[in-house]
Amino acid sequence: MRELWKIFKKGIISENPILVLALSLCPALAVTTTVQNALTMGLSVTFVLAANNTVVSLTRKWVNPKVRVPIYITSIATIVTVVELLLKAYAPALYSNLGIYLQLIVVFAIILARAEVFASKNKIIPSFVDGFGMGIGFTVAMVLIGTIREILGNGTFFGMQVLGDWYHPALIIILPPGAFILIGYLVGISKIINEKQDKKLKLQGEAK
Amino acid sequence: MSEQQHEDKNNSTLKIALNLAMACLISGCIIALTYFITADAAVAASIKLRDDTMKTMVEGSTGIKEIEGKEEWYEVYQGEELMGYIVPAATKGYGGTIELLVAVDPEGKIITYKILSSKETPGLGDNASKEGFTSQFTGKITEHLIVTKDPSDTEDIQAMSGATITSKAVTLGVKDAEVEVLAYLEGGE
Repeated sequence: MRELWKIFKKGIISENPILVLALSLCPALAVTTTVQNALTMGLSVTFVLAANNTVVSLTRKWVNPKVRVPIYITSIATIVTVVELLLKAYAPALYSNLGIYLQLIVVFAIILARAEVFASKNKIIPSFVDGFGMGIGFTVAMVLIGTIREILGNGTFFGMQVLGDWYHPALIIILPPGAFILIGYLVGISKIINEKQDKKLKLQGEAK
Repeated sequence: MSEQQHEDKNNSTLKIALNLAMACLISGCIIALTYFITADAAVAASIKLRDDTMKTMVEGSTGIKEIEGKEEWYEVYQGEELMGYIVPAATKGYGGTIELLVAVDPEGKIITYKILSSKETPGLGDNASKEGFTSQFTGKITEHLIVTKDPSDTEDIQAMSGATITSKAVTLGVKDAEVEVLAYLEGGE
């Protein structure tokens, strides 16, 4: 249980996909203009990531290592297409909100990376937990970026006005360059936090 | 030696190709099966979604009928009474094409419009789909479908601040749609 918690936790802080691994920066720029979009995207990615890790882990003994990458991509594409078809049929309103993001997920580096680095070498349950943790870490980072961008760039949070009329939205934050600048700062902050954490662990180790 | 051969055999191009082919075949089957099961529901759902969208555009409407000979044009009814027309429109905005649905009443006045897809700047141009801007169009006739920046001018459409191009584009799209409906009304019946 402890092991699983560790696997889950590392995706959120010490190996956060966006802020530490710096994978999938494209959606972090493109779909974080509002908190709503960021959250929707984050949850979709979490689902696909966990599902794909499970499938990859399940089939890891049959997949020939020489063609593993094409097979992983096929697997991701299959999961995304199936989800898309199901949503289209049974939740059309959700589908029309998610449509474009779903198709984008197929090419996200983070999903392929987790399949290659983790799921292809581990058992099913740890793989699922890894995918889930990474997905949550991705969602947290997306929502964080989305929150800052929406508040500073538009004066709203989840579509509700939080800053009064006196506030003139800083347009640059809403546009892609603003996102780059913001992500740069966030990467810096998470680096500081992680380094402090490492030092603490080291000190503890020495004390023992 | 024999082990070496065994490994070679296991990794022959044919084996690898078969491995990949199997993976593709299985995923193909899964997708085909899902499609087979959901296809009917998907078509029904998309028609329902479209009808619901149109019904929310015209208040109190109960039925929608496609106009014959005019692609994607619809008549909206409340019971037997004709409430208006819904027609598609496209216009060139700041970030690319903006696709709209425009609802026009039988006298040729705008009821409202709805943006189906656009790539306008978030926070500026995409405010064109919000109440504050859309409500200006209600009841407008062709002459007043022009954009103004003069706040005292209440007859015309007030431009959104920071998004003049989008304001103009949307207004033009709505106007074109209205002109088409007027032409249809004069020539049609």
